[in-house]
Amino acid sequence: MDYHQLLRDSLTRLPTVAATIDSVRKSIQDRGELVVLYFNFDRYSKIEEIYGWEKLDSVLETTASAMRDFLQQSTLASSRLMVAFPNDDDFVFFHVPQEDAVAATDPEITELMTGLKEAIATQIELVHGEDIAALFDIFVGRALIVYNPKLRLERQIYRGIREAANASKSLEHREEARKVSDLRETLRDRGLYIEYHPIVVTDDQRVFGYEALARGTMRSMRSPEVMFEIAAASDLIWDLSRLCRDRAIEGMGKLLKDGELLFMNVDPADFADPSFDVDTLNVKDPTRVVIEITERTAIKDYPKFRGRLKEFRDRGYRFAVDDAGSGYAGLGSIANLEPDFIKLDISLINCIDANFIKQNLVETMVRFADEHGAMVIAEGVERKEEYDMVKSLGVHLVQGFYVHKPSQNAVGHKALRIAPVLTDQAAP
Amino acid sequence: MPDNAHPPILVVDDNPDNANIIRDYLESRGYPITVAYNGDDALKAFGEVKPALVLLDVMMPGRDGWQVCREMKQHPTLGKSVRIVMVTALDDWVNKRQALQTGADDFVEKPFELVKLAATVERNVKLLAPAS
Repeated sequence: MDYHQLLRDSLTRLPTVAATIDSVRKSIQDRGELVVLYFNFDRYSKIEEIYGWEKLDSVLETTASAMRDFLQQSTLASSRLMVAFPNDDDFVFFHVPQEDAVAATDPEITELMTGLKEAIATQIELVHGEDIAALFDIFVGRALIVYNPKLRLERQIYRGIREAANASKSLEHREEARKVSDLRETLRDRGLYIEYHPIVVTDDQRVFGYEALARGTMRSMRSPEVMFEIAAASDLIWDLSRLCRDRAIEGMGKLLKDGELLFMNVDPADFADPSFDVDTLNVKDPTRVVIEITERTAIKDYPKFRGRLKEFRDRGYRFAVDDAGSGYAGLGSIANLEPDFIKLDISLINCIDANFIKQNLVETMVRFADEHGAMVIAEGVERKEEYDMVKSLGVHLVQGFYVHKPSQNAVGHKALRIAPVLTDQAAP
Repeated sequence: MPDNAHPPILVVDDNPDNANIIRDYLESRGYPITVAYNGDDALKAFGEVKPALVLLDVMMPGRDGWQVCREMKQHPTLGKSVRIVMVTALDDWVNKRQALQTGADDFVEKPFELVKLAATVERNVKLLAPAS
C-alpha cells in the first residue's frame, strides 16, 4: 500500500486516525480533553453482500460527503472526521473544543447525531434509492478522554476509540433487543402490510404479475431484510413468514386482476414448517401463485426438498429461483429445482449496459431458460440503458423502478425518477 | 500520440510470445501498447502508464490475473475509469462469475482470434469516458 494511502482514505478522502492524531496533538494537550465518537454502520456489510463491493464503496462515498457537509454547517465544524481504517466502513470523530469555545455538552452532541443520521439517510435515499436506504443504520458510541501527560497520547486516543467502538456495539445490541420486541409486537398485532411490485412483460411492459413485499407498519420494521434478519436471530422466522404469506394472499384476492400472478417469497426453511402445506394455504387458484425460493439460502437435503416442492407443484403452484447467479453454484443447482421462472440476481443487472461479462452471463441464462421452458426475470432494472440491454438479450420479464415502483394497491404506476425523502411517519 | 479512439493499453501475459503477438497486432491498429510479463510488473506499469484498458491474462505464476484485476480496480485514482478485459482459457459460469467479483468488464476466450480480440478492444474503448 502506498504511504499516502495510510494517511488518507482513497475512497472517502477522509484522513486516517494516525494522520489526524498528529494534526490535533497540540490542541488536545492544550485543552486537556477530547470527545471521541465512533460511527458503526451496522448493515453496510449487508449492502456489500447483496450488491457487491463496488456498491458499498459508492455508498461510503455518499456517507462521507453527507457527513462532511452536515458537520461543516454544525457547531462542531472545527472537529475532525476520519476513517477508523483505510477502506473499512467505520468512521471516527474527534471533538476538540476550540480555545475560546465551551466543549459541546452531551445533549448537544446527541441532538447533532440525530440530525446527522437524518442527513445521511436522506442523501443515501436520494442517490442510491429506497432499498439501500432501508439498510442504513448508524450506531454512535462515545468516549471522553481526559489528557494525562504521564501517558502517551496515541495510546490514550486508541483506548478511547476502542471504548467508543464498544459503546456503539452495546448500543447496537440494545437496539437489536428493542427490534426483537418490535417484531413480537408486529406478529401479535399483524402489523404488516404488503406492497405489490409489478413484473412486466419486457416487450410491451404489460403487467404479468406482482411480487409481494412485506413491510412492517412500525418504522423499525419497514425493511423486509431487517425484519427477516431479526426473525432469524430470534427464532421467529416461521411466524413471520406465515404472517407475510397470509397477508399477501389476502391482498391477492382483492387487488390482483384475473390472470395476474402473485410472486411470493418463501425461505427454504419454511418448507420445514409443519403449518406450511398445500392444504392450509388459503389460495383459490394455485396456478396463479409463484413461490420464490432464494438461491442464497443453502438447501441441505435436496431430495426431501424436491419432494416438498412436488406436493406444491402437483396442486398447480409454480416456482421461481430468486437471486439466480448470486453464488458460484452455476446453472446445475438451478436446473435441479426445475423452476418455471428464474429471477436474476440484482448484481447482474446493475450497470449491465457497461459490462460485457454480465451481458454474457444473462445471455447464457436466457438460453438455459429457453431450453428448459422457463422464463427469466430481470429485477432491479432502474435505468433505461439497463432496460434496453436486458430487452436486447431476450430477457422475458422485467421488474424494477424503471418500469414501476411497488405500491400497496397493486397498481402499476410509473416510478418517480427521484425517490421521495424518508420520513419518520409509519406507513398506514 | 494516444487519442480518444486509440487510448493506451497495457497487455499482461507471462508468455512473451502471446504478449508480443497482441502488442504487434494492436500497435498496427494504432494503439500505444505497454507490455508486462507478470503481475507485479503489471501493477507497476499500471501506475506509470495509466492505461485506459488492460488486457489481463488470468493464469500467471505469482500474483494471478484475478488478484491483479482486483488491485487495479481498487486503485484510488485509476480504478474507477480503467476497463479490464480478462484473457482466459477457463470459459465457464464459475470463472465469469469470479471475473465479475474482481471487477472485470469483459473477457476474451483463449486461444483467441486476433479479429475477435480487436473487436473486444474496440467495444470497450467505445465505453470509456471521454477524455477530458
